[in-house]
Amino acid sequence: MKLDAQIPAGPIEKKWDSHKFNVKLVNPNNKRKFDILVVGTGLAGASAAASLGELGYNVKVFCLQDTPRRAHSIAAQGGINAAKNYTNDGDSVWRLFHDTIKGGDYRAREANVYRLAQISNQIIDHCTAIGVPFGREYGGLLSNRSFGGAQVSRTFYTRGQTGQQLLLGAYSSMMRQAAAGTVKVYPRREMVDIIISNGRARGIVARNLVTGALESYAGHAVLLCTGGYANVFYLSTNAAGCNVSAAWTAYKKGAGFANPCFTQIHPTCIPRSGEHQSKLTLMSESLRNDGRIWVPKTKGDKRPPNQIHEEERDYFLERRYPAFGNLVPRDIASRASKSMIDEGRGVGPTGLSVYLDFRDSIKRQGEDKIREKYGNLFDMYKQITDENGYKVPMRIYPASHYTMGGLWVDYNLMTTVPGLFSLGEANFSDHGANRLGASALMQGLADGFFVIPATIGGYLGGSKFEPVSATAAEFKAGELAVKHKLSKLLEIKGKKTPTEFHRQLGNVMWNDCGMGRNEAGLKKALKKIPEIREEFWSNLALPGTTMEMNQTLEKAVKVADFLEFSELLVKDALERKESCGAHFREESVTTEGEAKRNDAAFSHASVWEYTGEGKEPVLNKEPLAFENIKMAERNYK
Amino acid sequence: MTNNHFDVTIRVWRQNGPDEPGRMVAYKVKDISPDMSFLEMIDVLNEDLIKKNEQPITVESDCREGICGCCGLVVNGEVHGPDEHSTVCQLHMRRFKEGDVITVEPWRVKSFPIIKDLAVDRSALDRIIQAGGYISVNTGAAPDANAIPVDKETAEEAMDSAACIGCGACVAACPNGAAMLFTGAKVSQLALLPQGKPERERRAICMLEAMDKESFGNCSNEYECEAVCPKEVKVSNIARLNREFLLANLLGKTEPNAPAKHLISTPDVPEED
Amino acid sequence: MNTLFLKRLITTSIGRKALMAASGLLLGLFMLVHLAENLLLFKGEVFYNTYVDFLLSNPLTIFLEFGLLGLFIVHITMGVWVRIEDFINAPRGYEARKWQGGRTIGSSTMLYTAAAILAYLAYHMLTFRFVDHSIGFYQMITSAFRSKMFVAVYIGGALALVLHLSHGMQSAFQTLGVNHPKYTPLIKLGGWLVALAMMIFAFISVYYLLNLDLKACGTSEMLVIR
Repeated sequence: MKLDAQIPAGPIEKKWDSHKFNVKLVNPNNKRKFDILVVGTGLAGASAAASLGELGYNVKVFCLQDTPRRAHSIAAQGGINAAKNYTNDGDSVWRLFHDTIKGGDYRAREANVYRLAQISNQIIDHCTAIGVPFGREYGGLLSNRSFGGAQVSRTFYTRGQTGQQLLLGAYSSMMRQAAAGTVKVYPRREMVDIIISNGRARGIVARNLVTGALESYAGHAVLLCTGGYANVFYLSTNAAGCNVSAAWTAYKKGAGFANPCFTQIHPTCIPRSGEHQSKLTLMSESLRNDGRIWVPKTKGDKRPPNQIHEEERDYFLERRYPAFGNLVPRDIASRASKSMIDEGRGVGPTGLSVYLDFRDSIKRQGEDKIREKYGNLFDMYKQITDENGYKVPMRIYPASHYTMGGLWVDYNLMTTVPGLFSLGEANFSDHGANRLGASALMQGLADGFFVIPATIGGYLGGSKFEPVSATAAEFKAGELAVKHKLSKLLEIKGKKTPTEFHRQLGNVMWNDCGMGRNEAGLKKALKKIPEIREEFWSNLALPGTTMEMNQTLEKAVKVADFLEFSELLVKDALERKESCGAHFREESVTTEGEAKRNDAAFSHASVWEYTGEGKEPVLNKEPLAFENIKMAERNYK
Repeated sequence: MTNNHFDVTIRVWRQNGPDEPGRMVAYKVKDISPDMSFLEMIDVLNEDLIKKNEQPITVESDCREGICGCCGLVVNGEVHGPDEHSTVCQLHMRRFKEGDVITVEPWRVKSFPIIKDLAVDRSALDRIIQAGGYISVNTGAAPDANAIPVDKETAEEAMDSAACIGCGACVAACPNGAAMLFTGAKVSQLALLPQGKPERERRAICMLEAMDKESFGNCSNEYECEAVCPKEVKVSNIARLNREFLLANLLGKTEPNAPAKHLISTPDVPEED
Repeated sequence: MNTLFLKRLITTSIGRKALMAASGLLLGLFMLVHLAENLLLFKGEVFYNTYVDFLLSNPLTIFLEFGLLGLFIVHITMGVWVRIEDFINAPRGYEARKWQGGRTIGSSTMLYTAAAILAYLAYHMLTFRFVDHSIGFYQMITSAFRSKMFVAVYIGGALALVLHLSHGMQSAFQTLGVNHPKYTPLIKLGGWLVALAMMIFAFISVYYLLNLDLKACGTSEMLVIR
């Protein structure tokens, strides 16, 4: 596998501009002759479809949901970063670039991140212009809030629903193009295959989720904007529909999969209440500004929290990280909570949570002040747990939240398969080993609104395309393979449901490849996953047929892919014998037990190459050079 | 783990396809934890059905945190269930007790045909947005975000309208099956913001005409929509839609240049080319 | 000539409802005037008949009557049209739909109260408008009010009006786009006051049914003389 990142020459500040000048353009009259297939309608997909449609390309866009407005970008709460420096606190493109690289623990590509920081400002301008009702000050100008990992206030927001408003903005722009005829929307379609013709991605096969029919669509380029794979842990903050299948299909068609082990755990989620739990709900990290995190000092202390006296409580974050206290970064807070629970000091009916206590803040500031700041979060907590967070401490537990890893892409966002692009969370490019808060929305929109419209012309304008129709043999073969796979699933007629297998896989992943990873655990996981997979293919219960709306079948396909992909994730975690960002190898720690990077051996992106069914994947490395930022150790003590 | 588990009976609408007859079917669901969400209770039932090689109940949900707008059920005759201003995915089983018989139905709205069981087709709402629920600004052309100040009250009011999640509860709850709250919310959001003002006349007329083309009823100002809206979108949005439309129609100097009919594609019906 | 905008008043849902709302508001206004006229009964036979004669001899009255008829036709036509569409598109088949706080008795019975009012109107026309007025209007009205049957129907009509206007008045403002955090509560209150004022019609009829006018003869005669 050849990994040419196509990074333009020149100083980092000039790379994007000179690249835009140097890439080939497509004549305005020729753009409508190019069909672009966009898979997924989250921030990246919807914005890409909208802006490519505006340029005049012929866009077809596909989504799983009943309407493109529902993709999981909608659930992002906090905000979107931009280097506007409206607050006059010394922010700049350079600082945002620096913070993102550092936050990613020096495992992201400098040129991409710098471009992201540059584009961040345009995103805010554009989103304001398309009607996103950002929060404002009394003077009528945009308001900012601060977020983790930065010492400046650069986060724009629309209450606690920033993702929703940005997605609806991108969606409405896309629907405008649908009315103009440049975009065709295909909801309730799941991409099940990518068609490669003469070495280039030339189309997809999609399953119509209403009729079950397989539909082929030919085009000149395919854009995968299909999000992350946090659901590999079964329980996560992701939506039920989030999956790895599209990216996994791409991987099997020759696209490199980069850094699958970089998965982020969010510390402040509402803990699960039992086996039935289907998803975890995130509460904004901002709660840690006023809440104190603690567990009882003694193991198995089952008394109600209010009966546990001050001297019997262990405020473990404040104890271990006196400088940052409860405000240490996500990964550190999550791991510390886990270690308390592993010691048997977890609280709540399941023992799988720690307290987040507002008693002292309420005493100091009054309940009204706390309600004013976090009222909606306390309400949400009450709705789910039936507990009053003002009276008894909240219980929280970390949950899988975001995946930094994804399809390897070059500077043009193209994967190792020509014509196959990947945008947003589905690619690996910008967050390194850890993503900072309010950066995911920024990346999705940067990729879709600004990067791909500029770079896709270089691909389309740079070569000749032989005509390919959706009735070509490649498509028929693709459809047949999918049909075969689906009917194989239906023929098993076993006893266990797809969800049961998923939960089983999730347990293995969470326990052996979750917040803390070690060689023994990872090897154990590598043994267990194939066993689960084998049982899946021999004991799966799956009623119904392929030619109808069949949600169990949809779920089974996703689980089948997770069962393959998870093995790659664990392999990658095993291979990366260092701790960096969200990837914590228990063998690679400082004397104080903190994460320790190994830059000499692992300053690279690990790019996995598919070599065939049942064969070992090959590891390729894209070395990461840091020419503009000095690498340093993260320290929050 | 608590030992206060209980059993309920749910009566669910089962319908195999859009044109097939449907019926209510009763199922016993055992050992329900009060901490389960309502949808997790249906998950438990579905797991049982799958194991018996029976078709599980088709029910749509995605984020399960009340923001994607995917879920939507009528529980015991109440749209989105008995909790006020929340989606049905946020409903928890502690609202019920041992022996309860719970009726679960889909949105029964002409404009949202049932696809299967509890899943309905809400693409009519997309077609309304497509007719004008946007600001016609191309990527790259925007001025600095702070070039146009927006007073805080207006921005907040626009956000109140923009909070709509497009779940369709307003239509399902309306005695007439009207989509005025949905349409009004989008028209309001964009009419309030200075960025949306340049095409507000065109937008009001085009979106209303698109809405009228679908099989929605008329608003009779009974405000059931406001009562059930999970995002508390207010009926003042409907008044604003009325106002925007009437003023645009009576005082607008030119007729809106509506998107040509052939350009409005029905999202769900692909045309092969 | 651009007539599209006029057509839209008929072809669009909001256009139709706006016509219904505007005509409804004007009809409400008429009802208030009509109520004031009825109150003139208390001024005695001579005064009342003089007023009616003045009204009937005024050439404008016939225009007003036709205008009123026009308002009724617009209000009823648009109302029926809107209701037919609602009937076609209303959610149907819920096993046990529970209303969740928006509906009121007035709003949910609009169609029935409308039918009742229409029926009452026909009766009203037949008993008061298209009859021999030679005995004088005051006599004609008050003698009708002394019939229990008539008063029962009359009270029924007034109740239907109360219910109809309790929703209709504020609803008309909403349909015409008038909604404001400061004024809407006042409009709703005003709507209810107008609606409740319709009960005064009933009180007047009961007043005559109980022969209260005769019992208070002295004072009312004096009023007439003055």
